[in-house]
Amino acid sequence: MQESNQSGKASRRAFLKGMMGTAVASTAALSLDAQARIHAPHELETLKDYEEHWGFCDMCYWRCGLKVRTRDGKAFKIDGNPEHPLNRGVVCGKGNSGIQVAFAPNRLKQPMERTGARGDNKWRPMPWDEALDKVAHELNKVKEKYGPQALVMIGHGTWEKPYHRLAHAFGTPNTTSPVFGLCCGPRGVANMLVAGRELGGNETLDLENCKYFLMMGRNVTESLHNGETLGWIDGVANGAKVTYVDPRYTITASKADEWLSIRPLTDHAFLLALIHVVIKGGLYDKQFVAEYVTGLDELAAKVEQYTPEWQEEITTIPADTVRRIALEMAQKAPAVLVYSPRRLTRSSNDLGTGMSISILNSLFGVWDRTGGIFTPQTFKIPEITLPEFPHAHVARGETGGDFDFAQTPFATDAEGKIQRADGAGVVGRWPLANAQYGLTNEMWRAMAEQDPYPLKALLTAGGNGFSNSTDYDTIRKALLNMDFYVAADVIPNEMNSYADILLPEASYLERYDDLQTGGMQEGFVALREPAMQPLHDTKGSWDICKALSQRMGLEAWFPHDSIEALLEDRLKKAGLSLAELKEKGVIKIPADPKINFPREHGGKSVFPTPSGKIELIPSQLQALGMADAIEWAEQPRPKDGEFHFTFGRVGFHTHARTQDNIWLNYFMPENLLWIHPDAAAKLGISDGETVEVKDPKGRGGKIAAKVTPRIRPDTVFTVHGFGHWDTRMTTAVGKGLSDSLLASDTREKHIGSISMGMNMVTVTKV
Amino acid sequence: MVAKYVMLADTTRCINCKACEVACRAEWDTPLGYSRDWVKEVEYVNAKGLPEVQLFPGRCQHCDDPPCVEVCPSGASWKRDDGIVLVDHAICSGCELCVPACPYEARWLNPVTNTISKCTFCQPRIDKGLQPACVETCVGRALIFGDANDPNSEVSQLLKAKEWQKLVTDEVNIGPNHYYYTAGKAIPDTVMPKLNERHLSGTLMENIVNPLGTLGIGGMMAVFLGAGIKKLIDRRQDVSNKEVSHEQH
Repeated sequence: MQESNQSGKASRRAFLKGMMGTAVASTAALSLDAQARIHAPHELETLKDYEEHWGFCDMCYWRCGLKVRTRDGKAFKIDGNPEHPLNRGVVCGKGNSGIQVAFAPNRLKQPMERTGARGDNKWRPMPWDEALDKVAHELNKVKEKYGPQALVMIGHGTWEKPYHRLAHAFGTPNTTSPVFGLCCGPRGVANMLVAGRELGGNETLDLENCKYFLMMGRNVTESLHNGETLGWIDGVANGAKVTYVDPRYTITASKADEWLSIRPLTDHAFLLALIHVVIKGGLYDKQFVAEYVTGLDELAAKVEQYTPEWQEEITTIPADTVRRIALEMAQKAPAVLVYSPRRLTRSSNDLGTGMSISILNSLFGVWDRTGGIFTPQTFKIPEITLPEFPHAHVARGETGGDFDFAQTPFATDAEGKIQRADGAGVVGRWPLANAQYGLTNEMWRAMAEQDPYPLKALLTAGGNGFSNSTDYDTIRKALLNMDFYVAADVIPNEMNSYADILLPEASYLERYDDLQTGGMQEGFVALREPAMQPLHDTKGSWDICKALSQRMGLEAWFPHDSIEALLEDRLKKAGLSLAELKEKGVIKIPADPKINFPREHGGKSVFPTPSGKIELIPSQLQALGMADAIEWAEQPRPKDGEFHFTFGRVGFHTHARTQDNIWLNYFMPENLLWIHPDAAAKLGISDGETVEVKDPKGRGGKIAAKVTPRIRPDTVFTVHGFGHWDTRMTTAVGKGLSDSLLASDTREKHIGSISMGMNMVTVTKV
Repeated sequence: MVAKYVMLADTTRCINCKACEVACRAEWDTPLGYSRDWVKEVEYVNAKGLPEVQLFPGRCQHCDDPPCVEVCPSGASWKRDDGIVLVDHAICSGCELCVPACPYEARWLNPVTNTISKCTFCQPRIDKGLQPACVETCVGRALIFGDANDPNSEVSQLLKAKEWQKLVTDEVNIGPNHYYYTAGKAIPDTVMPKLNERHLSGTLMENIVNPLGTLGIGGMMAVFLGAGIKKLIDRRQDVSNKEVSHEQH
């Protein structure tokens, strides 16, 4: 590229510019240029050589397959791996910006010890050996004093796995990831109860062939996951009708045929009325229901009261619209989907909402049908052989870390073993909650209140409790309660500013990680390998955990000399090798319609519930005395002068961890408060003006208003993840307002997951 | 037949995820705050009183009749036979006359190189048989690039299959080679090209200074030629006079 060869260019340019006014041909310099204009051949840029390395993305949790281009030993461009089933070669703005994670000036660059008060950001650098010795010593000290269960491990990354293993080896059952309690938990539980199957961390939906999408607040284009979004857009381009149900007009709404501006927290009422119409009108798949479904009559009796007219006052959606949608869907069934949101953690009864979605899909017979929900294939890559862990709840799903209820039953009997502090999977507490990923919201509470037993040490790998939970006071109290807190992360944030020891992780472009296994229509196993040497004095999580295990007498759980040896070991058990995997970065089992869509090919569907059938009234729920979960539960409404508070995503930020990425910050440096023109006029607020938002507890802050008809008049909205105060985040600090200050800190009544949408707020002009 | 490269943007498949912009930034190392491509998000209230959003990914339109090439005093801005408008960085003076000449605002002065930067359709990539970086990464596969003169190409097929629009107005109609599909919706005025007032000074350059320059160069070349011949004759005389065969200066 000529751009790099610029010696003398600037001075010549200045010279020419100076001449420009009276530029008439009197200097040799201009005459040379002018000659070029006439006949000189132009120089063309050529592509410089580069190397390519395989990886999978760490910018969100969909985990797209990547090719990382490097030149002179440095990564400079991320491309999609066209062979990878999760993204088919495309990478979003977040994924493309991964380069700026590795090269971020604010990265954690060397181990550090806190020298000031927690959260004050006063640190001294220290060598790795000293840091690891100290971590091992302090964790063992807590173990001696309070027992192993006093350690809490919270992970949030595609690289949390070794930390979970280390914590389990240490002897604590208290390992969590926000994915369950703060996000997708209710959806997974609902599908498991009804059908014995769940949609997975990578939804198993045949999007390209679907003919009708009823999007229940699933903002598929902005809560962006590449393969899913591409599949959905292909489906829409193939002629699918889209009805988008959301208080807000999103980019997804702009692709829809119809936008239903539903009142927040009332999706359940709308869905119950749909069920009512589908059953009453006989619009369901009668053959499928006869063969595969139980509980129709009982459900019919329960939804008798939930008429379209009944829901109208609750949801503000006209009764006729409900009737019409039920009919439209029945006509396109089984190539239809009632599309579930991912973060189904909003109301006091998310289980009821999730079950209603699963029930409707089941009534339309979409399981294992083209354009519906498919049966995935998984590549069986056995885990390495390890000694038994001191406590239960450690089975990990084979689909690369997704929920696996089969291996962690709902109600785990402790049998003398210590029960989880968050009560996930514990009889008498939150038996429906997944004990593998736990209830992170309940774990923070347990740490803040030191209940049901002392929790005195914390190990975090990624994540930011301040931004992903909803009460700063609880998080702060929990962190201040710790005798010892060690944080492993790539980037700084508010939570890890409270750590005693900071362990800097290599970025995902600088390291190996454990294999990625997954199940879509194709089964696959994929590789993450280093594209370059670590830029700083950092280590990968496997190396950190191995080093810690040696210092804590837990080396039996990290038996390999290197992570490459571990990968080779796992692959060998599956009859593969690392060399083979390095050819394309991914090895696949081809899609097999007979397995993915058995009922399209004369086969049978399998529903691993206790009855072996889809249970519209789930037997497991009855056994737990929670059969009322399907019933509508009243939700809070704004009083005069109040608004529902909602928050969500844009396609180019992930949670609260990309606001400091200089490439992504460029597109949206701060969030705005969306407010409807009518509501804004009433309050005298003009577009761009600063307003103050407060919840009933007086929490909140100032933010600029975006006056737009894209939101209901009784609701305000802002983009999640802003309002950082950690001064180490020099790009993001002090910009926008954190929605975590305003989201409600209540819990779903059956599962224990968080309910973030229950707060009402006031808005005043500043 | 020579290729004619065109870009298609199916706005119904664009989701404004910024993948194209970041891919371009990473591929060509553009400085922060500057971008060779963009996505414009236009929101408005339609005739039914409902909100609508349309998305327009954009970049240099590689026009048939590019004013940026016309106004360029050094000849650095040029158009290849296959239709791609390029900047020859070796001779670009960074005078910025082409910047207001472009009604699509696709050009800017790169403060690092002090030359003009713009979309090249990823010329170095396509010369190697690769797709432009924005196209390769586009999540919705909204961007499609190819040779419109090849009847078998995807772009040729798509151009025939759908109704495509170009960003042209009565005032600005310079043959852009970037096409947009909006499923029949009108393109909002805010996306349309505008004549930049500063372009007038560029027109001055184009119509007066450049021809004068060419004349001047012709004159200068005649002078140089004359001087050279005179020098040669002088030297011959010098040599024959002194009958010594070695250089004097």
